[in-house]
Amino acid sequence: MSLVGFIFRRVLIIIPTLWVIATLTFFLIRVAPGGPFQSEREIPAAAKEQLLRKYGLDQPLHRQYLSFLANAARLDFGPSYKFPQRQVREIILEAFPVSAELGGWALLVAILVGAPIGVIAAVKQNSRADYAAMGIALAGVSIPNFVLGPVLVLGLALTLYLLPPALWQGPESRVLPVLTLSTAYVAYIARLTRGGMLETLRQDYIRTARAKGLSEPVVVGKHALRLGILPVVSYLGPAAARIIMGSIVVETIFAVPGLGRYLVNAAFNRDYTLVLGGVLFYASFLMVLNLLIDVAYTRLDPRVELA
Amino acid sequence: MTRLAPLVRPFPVRLPGSSWLAAALAVILAAGACAPAREAPVGAAASAARWFGDTSPPPDNVFRFNLGAEPETYDPGLAVGQPDGRVARLLFEGLTREDPQTLEPLPGQAYRWEISPDGRTYTFHLRPGLRWSDDRPVTAHDFRWTWLRVLKPETAARYAGFLYAVVNAEAYNKGELKDENQVGLEAPDDSTFVVRLAAPVPYFLYLTQFYTCLPVPRWAIEKHGNRWTRPGNIVGNGAFTLDYWRQNNRFEVVKNPRYWDAASVKLDRVVGYCIDDLNTSFNLYKAGSFDWCPSGYFPSSFIPYVREYSDYRHGDYQAVYFYSICVKKPPLDHPDVRRALKMSVDRDAIANDLLKGSRRPWGNFAPSGYPGYHNPPGIPYDPPKAREYLARAGFPGGKGFPKISILINTSEDHRRIAEAIQAMWKRELGIPVEVFNQEWGSYLQATTALQYDVARRSWIGDYLDPNTFLSCYVTGDGNNRTGWGDPRYDRMLREAAKELDPAKRFAILREAEILLLDEGPVIPIYHYSTNEMVKPYVRGIYKTPLDIHPLTRVWIDREWERRATRVAARKAEAQGTR
Repeated sequence: MSLVGFIFRRVLIIIPTLWVIATLTFFLIRVAPGGPFQSEREIPAAAKEQLLRKYGLDQPLHRQYLSFLANAARLDFGPSYKFPQRQVREIILEAFPVSAELGGWALLVAILVGAPIGVIAAVKQNSRADYAAMGIALAGVSIPNFVLGPVLVLGLALTLYLLPPALWQGPESRVLPVLTLSTAYVAYIARLTRGGMLETLRQDYIRTARAKGLSEPVVVGKHALRLGILPVVSYLGPAAARIIMGSIVVETIFAVPGLGRYLVNAAFNRDYTLVLGGVLFYASFLMVLNLLIDVAYTRLDPRVELA
Repeated sequence: MTRLAPLVRPFPVRLPGSSWLAAALAVILAAGACAPAREAPVGAAASAARWFGDTSPPPDNVFRFNLGAEPETYDPGLAVGQPDGRVARLLFEGLTREDPQTLEPLPGQAYRWEISPDGRTYTFHLRPGLRWSDDRPVTAHDFRWTWLRVLKPETAARYAGFLYAVVNAEAYNKGELKDENQVGLEAPDDSTFVVRLAAPVPYFLYLTQFYTCLPVPRWAIEKHGNRWTRPGNIVGNGAFTLDYWRQNNRFEVVKNPRYWDAASVKLDRVVGYCIDDLNTSFNLYKAGSFDWCPSGYFPSSFIPYVREYSDYRHGDYQAVYFYSICVKKPPLDHPDVRRALKMSVDRDAIANDLLKGSRRPWGNFAPSGYPGYHNPPGIPYDPPKAREYLARAGFPGGKGFPKISILINTSEDHRRIAEAIQAMWKRELGIPVEVFNQEWGSYLQATTALQYDVARRSWIGDYLDPNTFLSCYVTGDGNNRTGWGDPRYDRMLREAAKELDPAKRFAILREAEILLLDEGPVIPIYHYSTNEMVKPYVRGIYKTPLDIHPLTRVWIDREWERRATRVAARKAEAQGTR
């Protein structure tokens, strides 16, 4: 099957999936008690009525649902209820690049540090270097970032005053959040790489390569790595999605103006439009990412066929 | 303004099942927060003062602070929360403005005003030569248009009720009256603004400085719609103009050269960050990224540790933490049952032991400190009497009393207090109590719909008058949320509203509070306090009763260390000569 056909078919599946997600989210958020215009201080009845009318919330639910679908199809989610001066689209377009930057750096660090550690551990299997690397990796996976973040802040920002403790201003402010976010992924990628490499290094074609008289760096770096890294590649899709969209804790600890904080707060605030826009954006992002990973997979491993 | 500490935290730091970890972390954080790293170089003379974290002033003439949560809007007419108001107050100025220490109204855009003998007509005279930041003149018509905008039903201003004292304002806001000329707001010429009130409102001048009443530029709103507040579109008449805004990050405002009193504005720039995580906010203060950490923006559990530092400022705040009783369901509809519940709460134990003295036990509904108002005696802690009342209501020793539940919104402090009260009621009255928590939205829904027995609540004053508290319990008021009502109470509040003599008026309100405390649906628990941190080089931030801090005259004192040394030396000298 051709690549174009493959992509076309996948996109055809994405659309109904998005529709299901949109529908579920739409009704779930409305089942939650309370609403966007509830406050501890009473809102005058006249004002509340106006607000409901302004946002079409006085319409019957099915009518609201249909107009939401029609607008969503045009990528228009309307204004946020909590921040009425801003469009949901605008918020996403402003906040997403920040999350993407944070996640991108973290992912880069994770690959650049994690993969070499994994390769070394695999090549020197059962040596001290292997045990040390895997021990550190185990610790890295186990320490949650809501512990690691504050500890790093305490040491590097508040005791040594080397780096700012938070705020997304200037390159030095990127260090701590990227470090905090990437640690777990460094560890996981190291373990995946080691596993993949160990399996690959036992394969016949590696023995052949060695028998041909190729040098060990070439065997490992060129022949083995290409297949051994595959588990990492397939992990990159979900990892990229998680690291970019799911960095809420890190965004909160370091006051990063990313998308994660918006989404969590939007759910608490019953900011229907922002929740829906955010969820759909996240879902599409995830699915497109998975599609790209599948395509990349075929480039790396000729045995994989597009289906 | 009603929401106190941001209770809906974006993410719970404490996860289920990892409480030991969280506890260990809290210890580490607390210890770290107090580590004397890069402390102020304490000279021999200034030995009494210890400062927290970095004490070097910012390099430029800038003042940086934490706004806390992201403002929902800073359009003054639509603003509701404290962060909203803080931004609006930088950019706009009302007819009057707050005295930075007492918050009493000082001449602002109006340089003088007359009040008619019956207290119903206010005539404001604007200063000559006032300008908007785009060089247009500020006129009385701007004020009239602004106030009418707040009242216009289509604006859907949540604080429109603030102007209901104005003749016909309520009818106009509710859409019952279409003709805006019948609302008691007139601008006979460019510099005179006349407000006619339906009844005398003794605290009316306080309202004229409240953010709902700050003037807004008609032409900018008509041109840009609801995007008029964005940088580039916004036009203001305040001491600062908006230079930069990034949502969930920060506001930067710069000095407005067209402000009438620009000569006394000493700061070139003010930066307000939107950091809702309390730990992060405190870290930034320590690292010297903030010059001021306003009240509520660091974890209250740190208070015992930071008390020792000279940065720490503590004061009373016009807000009360209380339990509200829904009187719709028996036996809570019985006043004696409510009396029993009220008298068996040991406020002292909660404020001083549980909360480590960071709050003041308080048995009244109206807070302390309203000029001229003398609070009646508060609800006493008297378990024997409480048992007596419970027996009188038909439940001797708590026998036959149905299980009641305490509703709280999810927060560690609320839970601890609720559990303490649960234990007190069980111990003193023998009644079964359960604690039930909900996240913020569901909690609001339950309290509004009266689907609860007893609920945690709090209330913050908007202006310096007990009316801002007591009016909540008028029958059917939207903020009542208990189903309680008493014609005697309503009558007293109506009478007070008509009374011109302040002493008599306060006496009536006091009677009303006595009735509310005796029979009403509230169990006051503690008086809120402000707990803030201010760097040593900041001048012009004062303790104020409403946690409102005009920043117009704040300045950075680069000589603070030498000054501190000199003062200390003088003190030492004075002691030596004695």
